[in-house]
Amino acid sequence: MEEGDKDRNIRILRSGVFTPLRRWGTKWSLWPCHFVTSCCGVELAHAFACGFDGERLGTLNMGISRQANFIIVEGTITRKMARALRIVWEQMPDPKFVNVIGACGQRGGIFWNSYNLTRPSEIVPVDFFIPGCPITPEGLLRGVRAVQEKIEGRDRTTIKFKTAELPSEGGKGKESRVPTTAKIFAPTPLIKVDVPKEVDWDFGEDLVKSLKAQLGGLYKSITITDKNRIAIKTTPENLVKVVRELSGTTGIDHVKNVNVIDVPHERKFIVEYMVSSYSEELMPVIITVFTEIGREAEPVFPSLTALWESVDYSEREMHDFFGIRFEGNEGMNGKFLLAPETQTPLRKDFKLEEERYVLEDGVPFAPKIELPSDLKMPVSEELLEEAEKSDDFVVLVGPHHTGSGHLRWIMRLKGDLIVDIIPDPGYVHRSMEKLAENRLYIQNIPLFERANISDPFNMNLGYVRAIEKALGIEVPERAKYIRTIMAELSRIGAFFYDSGILSLFTGHSTGFMYVWAIREMILEAVVRMTGSRCTPSFIIPGGIRRDISDDVLNMTSNFTSAINKRLRKFEDIFIYNPVFIARTKGVGVLTREEAIRYGIVGPFLRASGVDYDIRKVEPYEAYDKLDWEVTTGDAGDSLGRYMGRYEEIKQSLRILKQAVDAVKRMPRGAVISEEVLGEYREASKDIKGHLFHAYGNLVLPKGEWTSVTEAGRGTLLYSIISDGESNVPYRVRIVTPCWMNLRGIIEASKGERVADFWAVYGSFGYFPPEADR
Amino acid sequence: MKKVTVPEQGLGEKVIRHATAIGVAMKESVYPLTATVFYPRERKKMPDNFRGYLMFDPDKCISCWECAFVCPANAIQMKVAPNKRYYPTVDYGKCIFCHFCVDSCSGGALKTTKIHDVAYKDMDEMLTLTEEMLEEPEIIREDKKSVEYVIDEHDLHLKRVREVDTLFVAVTPPVEIPMVSQCIDRASCIGCRVCEEVCESGAISSSTEQRGILRMKIDTDKCTGCGLCVKECSMRILRLVKK
Amino acid sequence: MIDINTVITGLGIAGNQVSIPIIQQMLDLLPEIPMIKLIISFILWKPFFAALICPGFTTLGILLLFFPWIERKLCGRIQWRVGPHEIVWWLGGIIQLLADSLRFLFQEVIVHKDAHRPYFLQFPFLTFIPALLPLMFIPAGNIVAIETPYAIQIILAVVCLFPLFILGLGWASNSRFAFIGTVREAFMYFAYEVPFIIAVLAMIVLYGTSDPVGIATKQTIWGIILNPIAALTFFIAAAMATSRMPFEIPEAEQELAAGPHVEYSGIAFGLIYVLCYEKAYVLAGLMTMLFLGGGSGPAIAGLGDLSGVIWFLLKVVIVLTTLFVLRAIYPRYRLDQGLSIGWSAMLSLSLIALALSIVLVLGGVI
Ligand code: SF4
Ligand code: SF4
Ligand code: SF4
Repeated sequence: MEEGDKDRNIRILRSGVFTPLRRWGTKWSLWPCHFVTSCCGVELAHAFACGFDGERLGTLNMGISRQANFIIVEGTITRKMARALRIVWEQMPDPKFVNVIGACGQRGGIFWNSYNLTRPSEIVPVDFFIPGCPITPEGLLRGVRAVQEKIEGRDRTTIKFKTAELPSEGGKGKESRVPTTAKIFAPTPLIKVDVPKEVDWDFGEDLVKSLKAQLGGLYKSITITDKNRIAIKTTPENLVKVVRELSGTTGIDHVKNVNVIDVPHERKFIVEYMVSSYSEELMPVIITVFTEIGREAEPVFPSLTALWESVDYSEREMHDFFGIRFEGNEGMNGKFLLAPETQTPLRKDFKLEEERYVLEDGVPFAPKIELPSDLKMPVSEELLEEAEKSDDFVVLVGPHHTGSGHLRWIMRLKGDLIVDIIPDPGYVHRSMEKLAENRLYIQNIPLFERANISDPFNMNLGYVRAIEKALGIEVPERAKYIRTIMAELSRIGAFFYDSGILSLFTGHSTGFMYVWAIREMILEAVVRMTGSRCTPSFIIPGGIRRDISDDVLNMTSNFTSAINKRLRKFEDIFIYNPVFIARTKGVGVLTREEAIRYGIVGPFLRASGVDYDIRKVEPYEAYDKLDWEVTTGDAGDSLGRYMGRYEEIKQSLRILKQAVDAVKRMPRGAVISEEVLGEYREASKDIKGHLFHAYGNLVLPKGEWTSVTEAGRGTLLYSIISDGESNVPYRVRIVTPCWMNLRGIIEASKGERVADFWAVYGSFGYFPPEADR
Repeated sequence: MKKVTVPEQGLGEKVIRHATAIGVAMKESVYPLTATVFYPRERKKMPDNFRGYLMFDPDKCISCWECAFVCPANAIQMKVAPNKRYYPTVDYGKCIFCHFCVDSCSGGALKTTKIHDVAYKDMDEMLTLTEEMLEEPEIIREDKKSVEYVIDEHDLHLKRVREVDTLFVAVTPPVEIPMVSQCIDRASCIGCRVCEEVCESGAISSSTEQRGILRMKIDTDKCTGCGLCVKECSMRILRLVKK
Repeated sequence: MIDINTVITGLGIAGNQVSIPIIQQMLDLLPEIPMIKLIISFILWKPFFAALICPGFTTLGILLLFFPWIERKLCGRIQWRVGPHEIVWWLGGIIQLLADSLRFLFQEVIVHKDAHRPYFLQFPFLTFIPALLPLMFIPAGNIVAIETPYAIQIILAVVCLFPLFILGLGWASNSRFAFIGTVREAFMYFAYEVPFIIAVLAMIVLYGTSDPVGIATKQTIWGIILNPIAALTFFIAAAMATSRMPFEIPEAEQELAAGPHVEYSGIAFGLIYVLCYEKAYVLAGLMTMLFLGGGSGPAIAGLGDLSGVIWFLLKVVIVLTTLFVLRAIYPRYRLDQGLSIGWSAMLSLSLIALALSIVLVLGGVI
């Protein structure tokens, strides 16, 4: 980027005879080429949907770079995306403007020391920065106004601070010593994932007995680590045999998680597969099969893809992160999630920048980032050649495409039919798992929430439940119900988010607007509860941050009936629209067996006929006390998936109503566990004023703590490995539903027509930031 | 368990559905359920607990550094004030408005405002120094009206009032529990004086006793209970206890 | 000194004037200023008036400037928002399109490396030929530029040329999305063309003439009531021809990033952007002519010939609005569904319409 680039566009606008006309025209016709690179895109959508309607200001959303003249960078620009940003910017005709919204596009926000982040301002000249995470729609529109004013000739920051005198009294007269970091790292902790735990679980003991008999000499140890959790230790040679045995006789049919833990001081990697079954009695049980391998530069490990295709992408991911070669997996050449230049970042010897607690002159606020040097976004040559030979047409969809989401789909077409789709994810990979290893347990709450800000409460809840499980904290009844309310609001919000995207993908902008109006109601309830529209960070270990007022409860209960009016219109114009039904019916069918094989989760799995909902299987919060039903379907096509979720939302409204009524009947009381508040409990009923006291030095007991949560889009798994000494997790593994569903999208669209891809993609509710984490 | 069936549409049903869809469009074009806030000219009312820009009150700050420690984005960095105490600065280029800092601040020195719509032309300006956080900042506002979302049993309504919403709220500070630092194992003290150096209130002093051994003394009146010494103590023999 | 009146008569424009009683007196006062009289007579000369003012360029221009605004406002309303508004907010942002067009006009036009440069730049302009030519044959009331008994056939022929130019655009762009888009356009063209022509044919059979003015006079009962099936077919075909929802298949922003137009920027895109409106205008004109009685309607006192013009424009705008508001109602069909609708449902509808016309004619209804 050259000097003076920032004002270049204004200079262009000023040149020529028709300057006033030019400026006036440009001012009122800033068409954003929305660069939906991350979660801030959700709020951007709100700014341009009916709640705020950015089109009022003449900013018509136009996804095509050649015709737009305004880029709104929505948050994170990862190393992979940086190239795309530069290319798109170069493709745009002059004069053009760039706004960056969201903290991650500025100094990184919560991802400030991530290894995969770049700064947009170093890639393209940026006109305005809008703080927030995410920004509010108002903030975005303020940015548009600021650009308009800049064109008029008033280039200014829209806030003015007044400087006041700081006290000169009250200190001890000399500068005191700067305290050290609040984080405690145990230097060489003992890492153990199978710490036994005494639990009252007869079925588990029987299961362990039968497993022992069945596996014979294949295992080293079998331990019950918690209720519904079993860990089997084995050797690398025997792992495949154990797994084959499990899937053959025990009926284990899917993998929930593939995880690797780096233990450098013992020169080993722990590789673990968490497997489970969709057969009635084994549903809640998660069996961790793990083994240890030597810590070499590129250790080799047998892949399980032949057995379960669902592990495919997760293994590739582990290859990226740790450099382990899974023998038998096709994707072991090159990187999957990461940019080509990044090397095995999740190994412990890959260090991140440390926090600075003192403001010092001359020290940059955030670490320097080296930009990717070339702008090429390579596609495998072999693929192109092979396609050429077989007369296929290769189309690259994304990462900047109106219908791609933040990833690239490499499509091979034969005529109008899709022969193959190769996903190229990782454009929003913000390295959450690595960052989590460097933060306090409490600091990870907002971090994981950013995985999916269209479903924030469930993201919170999963992580917090894992901690609560480890610590054995009991949550007060009132907090449980409020959490249920929040989780369901969030689920409804996620569904409507996906409906909006699906309707856009099928070309129906009205459907999008209608559901966004409904989302606006949800966000209003959320902001009144928590103070933030999309990123509440409200659920904390032991309860919630604050009690919610009766007004808001009333509003939430009103919402369950107020939604009907708008929902009916939405049904009429979108869901039952014959064109929509024609587009989605019979498209992308996955049978029950396929769905399980490809590892699909959540409502999409239920649409293929599997009756599995964690809220029933392993009830948490108040779900077992409320009256509702799991919805399943048999169709397994796009319409089935969509209608299944729609029905589920109706159940959610039922839950919501009951939960709100229950909370209203309850006496006000603590919303946070007394254990957590400790000695501060008498002073307050909530966490205000004591957050750091209560959680700053949270240390989980040694072991692996796994929680599964039914998030809006399916099974969300958190697995925290604690060394029992540090107040930061040793490793956190998140398996998000979207990541698991990626495989399903690919398989369901193969053999369909080009346009069907979007019907399938939309029906899966794929939210790329959640998948890439 | 509830089985969901997908809608089947015969020809007749299709025609009806086409007609309904068109009907909705016609109805909406006459009586729309518009839910738009005309932002620059009017402003949506945010609740009082809205998490926006931060304000700071040095009188209530005990320089406990907890806001800096808890900030997940490392947006708060401390800076020395004229009185040689450390006070927080906020970098809005990093702040994610989680308000963990506000919830950690036991004296209520940090408080929220309803400011959230700001555009900076330069990233360097996004760092807000302590002295800029004391008084209410001014933002460019074009709004003449404020809008409130009202959700009743039937629908969402926008209630417009002809008044300029104030962005600064009075918040009740958290209930304070006076704490003081206390040594629980005097015999183990090695006299490293870390606690003395780290204490910003000058509550800890040292005196040399016989044979050159340092003796630390905590002045409970001066101690604010910030807990820094507890955290820093090399021997981990300090605790915070109620006054 | 040459007598102006002689010139006017000599040019043969005297007898063919648009008569507007309300301003006639004003015009009568003007003859003293020689050139003015000539100019006014020339402007009011029907063929010239038709080509230049209505339904020709001026109307088209004004329509292009304001119709997208109407469309955006209306869609906005249906979608529970407001559409363009702040630019002059007390007028509801009515001049939004002016800003947009100025912006496009002054913006850089990028010709990318892979494009076929000459064609890439020529096609946006060339496409105006099929877009504007039909205007010469469409009557607004009784005002028409070129009067011929074969007007309808000519319009059809020219309109059907249109996709060729779109193909050219896409081909010259040399981009994968543009390429898929053009192929889709070609497919759709085959799907709607036959039913479209048959539907028009049905009306020609019904009226027994293809002279626009003749058709207008024949429609004591509007065509849409006489043969609603033909009207429906025509309307759907028009939606297909102008790539409206649910048949916005060649453009499909979410799939193909606007297909053939994906590489165009600046004024070149501006031209393409209005192209679709022009085409829709022509088709709406045709629809008005065939099914909605052209410029017929209760005469507005004092406006004389202009009364027909106003009725005509009103109907055209209504047809256009209906056509464009479809995008707020429907999602998009898939290509194969679009084709099968064209080849089966619409073809049979159009044949039924033709049969209906024949029955009506034989039954002596008209
Ligand atoms: S984390 Fe997400 S919401 Fe926050 S600034 Fe980044 S993109 Fe926006
Ligand atoms: S947490 Fe509050 S009292 Fe402690 S340093 Fe920060 S502002 Fe001051
Ligand atoms: S609101 Fe959150 S991110 Fe912002 S300064 Fe406070 S703790 Fe840090």
